[in-house]
Amino acid sequence: MTTKPATKSLVFPRFFPRPNSKTGIWSWIATVDHKKIGTLYGITSFFWFIVAGLEALLIRIQLSQANNDFLSPDMYNSLFTMHGTTMIFLVVMPLSAAFFNWLIPLQIGARDVAFPRLNALSYWIFLFGSILINFSWITGEAPNGGWFGYAPNSGVTFNPGKGMTYWVVGLNVLGISSIAAGLNFVTTIINMRAPGMSMFKMPIFTWMTLVTSILIILALPILAVAGIQLQTDRIYGTHFFNSLGGGDPVMWQHIFWLFGHPEVYILILPAMGIVSEVLPTFARKPIFGYSFVVFAGAVIGFMGWFVWSHHMFTVGLGPAANSAFSISTMLIAVPTGIKIFNWLGTLWGGSIRFNTAMLFSLGFIAMFTIGGLSGVMHASPPTDAQQQDTYFVVAHFHYVLFGGALLGIFSGIYFWWPKFTGYFLNEKIGKLNFIFMLIGFNIQFGPMHWLGMDGMPRRIYTYAENMGWEGSNLAATIGGFILGVGVLLFIYNVIYSMIHKEVAGADPWDGRTLEWSTSSPPPEHDFDEIPQVKFRDDFWFKKYPETIKEYYEHGEIEEDTEDKLSEKSNHEDEIHLPDMSYYPFILGVGIAILGAGFLSNIYIIAISVPIMIWGLLGWSMEPVNDPHPDGH
Amino acid sequence: MKKNFINKKSKLSLLFIVFSIFTIFGCTPENNQSTFGTAGPIASSQADLFILIFAIAVVVFIAVEAALIYISIKFRRREGDKLPYQTHGNKKLEITWTIIPAVILIFVAVPTLVGIWSQQNGVPDDKGQVLNIEAVGHQWWFEFRYSDYEVITSNELHIPKGRPVSFKLSSQDVIHSFWVPKLAGKVDMVPLNDNYIWMIADEVGEFYGQCAEFCGTSHAHMRFRVFVHEEEDFLAWVDQMHTPADPPMPNTPESRGQMLFAANCSMCHTNNSTTPGSYIMEINTQDARWNNWVDDTENSALVSAPNLTHFGTHTTLGSGIKELNHENLVEWIADPSTIKQGTRMQKQAMVYNTRDGKANLTDSEISDIAYYLLSLKPGSGAEMVIDDIPSDGLIDAEAVFATNCAACHSLGNDVIVGPGMGGIKDRAGDRVSGLSAYEYIYESIVEPQAYIVEGYPPVMPAWASLGDETVNALVEYLLTLE
Repeated sequence: MTTKPATKSLVFPRFFPRPNSKTGIWSWIATVDHKKIGTLYGITSFFWFIVAGLEALLIRIQLSQANNDFLSPDMYNSLFTMHGTTMIFLVVMPLSAAFFNWLIPLQIGARDVAFPRLNALSYWIFLFGSILINFSWITGEAPNGGWFGYAPNSGVTFNPGKGMTYWVVGLNVLGISSIAAGLNFVTTIINMRAPGMSMFKMPIFTWMTLVTSILIILALPILAVAGIQLQTDRIYGTHFFNSLGGGDPVMWQHIFWLFGHPEVYILILPAMGIVSEVLPTFARKPIFGYSFVVFAGAVIGFMGWFVWSHHMFTVGLGPAANSAFSISTMLIAVPTGIKIFNWLGTLWGGSIRFNTAMLFSLGFIAMFTIGGLSGVMHASPPTDAQQQDTYFVVAHFHYVLFGGALLGIFSGIYFWWPKFTGYFLNEKIGKLNFIFMLIGFNIQFGPMHWLGMDGMPRRIYTYAENMGWEGSNLAATIGGFILGVGVLLFIYNVIYSMIHKEVAGADPWDGRTLEWSTSSPPPEHDFDEIPQVKFRDDFWFKKYPETIKEYYEHGEIEEDTEDKLSEKSNHEDEIHLPDMSYYPFILGVGIAILGAGFLSNIYIIAISVPIMIWGLLGWSMEPVNDPHPDGH
Repeated sequence: MKKNFINKKSKLSLLFIVFSIFTIFGCTPENNQSTFGTAGPIASSQADLFILIFAIAVVVFIAVEAALIYISIKFRRREGDKLPYQTHGNKKLEITWTIIPAVILIFVAVPTLVGIWSQQNGVPDDKGQVLNIEAVGHQWWFEFRYSDYEVITSNELHIPKGRPVSFKLSSQDVIHSFWVPKLAGKVDMVPLNDNYIWMIADEVGEFYGQCAEFCGTSHAHMRFRVFVHEEEDFLAWVDQMHTPADPPMPNTPESRGQMLFAANCSMCHTNNSTTPGSYIMEINTQDARWNNWVDDTENSALVSAPNLTHFGTHTTLGSGIKELNHENLVEWIADPSTIKQGTRMQKQAMVYNTRDGKANLTDSEISDIAYYLLSLKPGSGAEMVIDDIPSDGLIDAEAVFATNCAACHSLGNDVIVGPGMGGIKDRAGDRVSGLSAYEYIYESIVEPQAYIVEGYPPVMPAWASLGDETVNALVEYLLTLE
C-alpha cells in the first residue's frame, strides 16, 4: 500500500492519509468507483443466491415425500423465511443494483454516479446488513415468522427469542442501503446524462432503473415505518401490531403490502430493462415502440401503488374493497401485455441470433407470460379464495421472480459479462446452463400450480400421505436439483471463462448503446471522451448512419440538438474522478454495530454512535478531491 | 448446428405447452382437498370462475407462446441476412394491443364482481334457515361453538346438508385461515377483527379442512374435518351432544382414567359440556385459561384447550392429524411432540413439567386415560356411580389431595393455578357470610364456580364425583393445614 500525505490541513483531524491504492484489499474497501462497487454487489449477492438456493433445496428435500422428518418444523419455518428474505433483499434487489452500478454511468455517458461515496456506503451497509441477518444462523435463532412477518405471529409473545428481531433489524439496516442507492441513481440519471441525451433518448434499461429507483425511494421508507414499529413492539413492548395489547395485526399487512407490492415491481422492472436491451441487440432492430415500452414501465410502477390489498383478499376487508383492488390489479395486465407484445414486435422482422443471453431473454418472455396469466387468476377474489396461501401462489410468483427477474438477470450477466471483464462466457456451457435452468425450473414450479389447486397450503413443513400431493412434490424436488445443476454450470462457466480468457472486444455483440463504445473492461474513467448524443441507440446510428432515416422517418429527430452539443462539449476536456475514501466503510461499520446493538444491549448502541459520528464528520469534512501533488 | 438447436427449442416449448395443459387438466377432483369436485354452491361457482379465467388464459398463453416460437423460427439469423429495417414501431398496432387485453379483462372482471358480491356479502335471505357457528382459531386447533344449539366442540365440525351455515371467524392468538376447499374458499381468522363466511354443503360426507395462514411451528398440523349430515341426523347429533356420557364402571381402566384426567387434564380440557349452562361456562372458562396464559406465558399452568365432550365419537386426534385409537392416543398423551411439535399442552401443563417433556405418568396410567377418553360418548342416562371408596372405609385424604388437587393447589402459600391451601382454615370462614369454613370449603370443591376468589381463573372443575365421604375427608384434612 502506498500512501501520500495530505497536503491540506482540515478542521476534522484525519487519523490516516487518504487512500489511493489501486490494488489489494484497500483498493476495494476505499473504492468509490461505480464499476468496482458494482462488482462487489454482484459477488456478494451471488454468494447469497447460492445460500438461498441451498435453503430452497433443503425445503424441497423435506417436502419430497409425505410425513418426512428430515427437518423439524421450526427449522423448516426458518428456512422458508430466510429463503424468501434472502432471495428478495439479498439477491434480486442487489443483483439489480450491481447492474445499475455497472451500467448506468456507462449507458448515459458519465464517469461515475452522482454521489460516489454514498454509493460505496450503500454497498457497505448492504454487506453488513446481509451478514447481520444471516448471523442468526450461527446463533441458532434464525427468523421463522415468514418473510412477510405477519403480526401477531412475528410479535414477541408468539415468537420469543431473537429470530424475528434479527429479521426486522436486518431489514431496517438494508433499507438504509436501498434508499441511499435509489436517491443516488435518480440523481445520476436526471443530472449526469451525456450532452444531447434527453430523457427520451435514454436506453430502456436506464429508464427502468429510474422507475425502479423512484419506487425504492417511495416504498422502502414504508417498510422502514413498519419495521421500526415491529422493532419497538419486540424490543420495547409497544403495541402497534400486538393484538394482545389492542394493536391491529391487519395494519401490519396494509403497511407491509403497501411496500410489498411496489417491491415486486422493484424486482421485475430491472429485468424488463435488461430484456429490452438484449432483444434489440440480437434481433438487430431497435426496441419496437420505445415510448410505449417506457410508458408501460412507468405505468406499472405507478399502478403498483393501488393494488396492495390483493395480497389480502381473504383478510375480510369486505366486498367493496375486494372489488376495487381486484379491478386495479387486473388493469396492471394491460401495461404488462404492452411490454410483451412490444418485445414480440421487436423480434418481428429481425435477424435473430440465438446466443445464451438471447435465450435467457426469450425464456424470460415465455415464463413471465405464464406468471402474468396466473396472476390474473388470483386477481379475482372468488378464485383467489381457493388459491390464496396455496402452492398455486408459490408457483405464480416463482414464474414471475425466477422465470422473470432471475432469467432476465442471467440474460444480463451473459450479455454484459464481456463488458465487465473483457472476456466472453463460454456459449456452449451457457446454452447448457440455460437448458438445465429452464427445464429444472419448469419441473420444479409447474407442478406447484396443481398442488395449489389440489388444496396444498403454503408454508406447511409436511403433509399426510392420503392427500394426493406426493407425486407433484417429488417432481418439484427433482426439478429443484436440475435447476441446481444449471446454477453449477453457470459457476463452472465463470471459472472456465477466467481460465480460458476468450477476449471480447469493446463491442462484441454489435451493440446499440453507449456502454459498447468504450473498451472492455472500461477504463477507470469510463470514457476517454464524454460522448455526444444525437439519437436513441446513438452508438448504433454512429456505426450505421445510413439507417437513421429508417428510424426517424417521421421527423422525430430534434432540430436544435447540434447547438446544445457544441455548448456543452466545451466543459469536457479534463477527466476528474472522485478520490477514494475510507469514510463510507467507517460509517457502514457504525450502522452495522448500531444494528447489532438493537440485538444485544444498549452499550453496543453507545459504541456505534461515536463511530457513526466519526464517519459522518470525516466524510463531510473531506473534499471530493484532495489537491493532487502533481498539481492536477 | 444452429438450425438443429432452434428445432430443439421449439420442440421443447411445444412439449412444455402440452405438458402444462395436460397436467393442469390432470388435477384430480377426488383428492381430499382438491378445489375441483366440489360439494357446495360456493366452491363450485369459484371453480367455475377459475375454469373460465383459465380458459381465457390458455388462449392468451397459446397465442403469445406460439407467436414467440413462430417469430423465433421465421426470423432466425441466416447467412447473408441484410440489416433489418430499423423501424421505431407502429402506433396503430401498439394501441390495438393495448385495447385487446383491456377488452379481454372485461370478461374476467364482470363475473368476478358478480362472484364477490354474491359470496362475500352475507347469506342471501332465500337460502333457508341459517345455522350460526362461531369458529375460533387456536395454535394449532379449531374450536367450534354452535350458538344456536349451545353445543361446543373442537376439530370436528358437524353441519346439516342443504342449509346455509354462517361462520363467525375469530382467533385467540395469531392469524389463522378457515378453509374447507370442497365447500368454500378460505377466509382468515384474525384476532380482534371478526370475519364471516358462509357456505352450503350439497353432499353428505366427510370433508377435509386445513388452516391456510402460516401460524407458527405446527401450522402444518392444524387441520380439521367437516361431517355433513342429513338434517335429521344433524339434529340427532345435537341431541347427543346434550346427552351426558355414562360414568365409568368402578375399578375399570376407564374409572382410573377418569380420576387421572380430573387431576392432570381437567383444568384445561372440559369434557362434560352437555348440561344447560355449560356452553356459556365453557366460553368463559376458555377465556379465563387464555388470559391466565397471556398474563404469564412462561409459567402459566393453564392455556385454552380443545373441549373434549364426547371425544370418543371423534375419528381423529391432534386436530385431524391421526386416526383416533388407543395406540395413537397413548402416544399423544405420553409425548405430544412425537405427533405435533410445539403444543402449548406440552409447554404449560404441570404433568409435562419434566426434564424430557414427557408426561409424568406411568404407562398404565396413560393407557387408563386413553381408555377413559375413548369412553366419552353419549350415554344411556345411567346414574353416577361413586368410585374409589376403600373397602375399609378409611380415606387417606392426604393421598386424595396429592392425586387430585396438587396439580393446581400447593399445601403452602405458593400459587400454582389456584390459591395455596396453607392456613385456609383461617380464611375460609370469612369468605361468604352465612357459610362456615367447613361449608365454604365443601361448596368450593363440589361447585367451585359459585365462589371464585378474585384474581384466580374460574377453571376448577366440579369434584362431586369424588363422593361425599371423600370430600368430607378432604375438607377435614384441609382444615388441619397451617
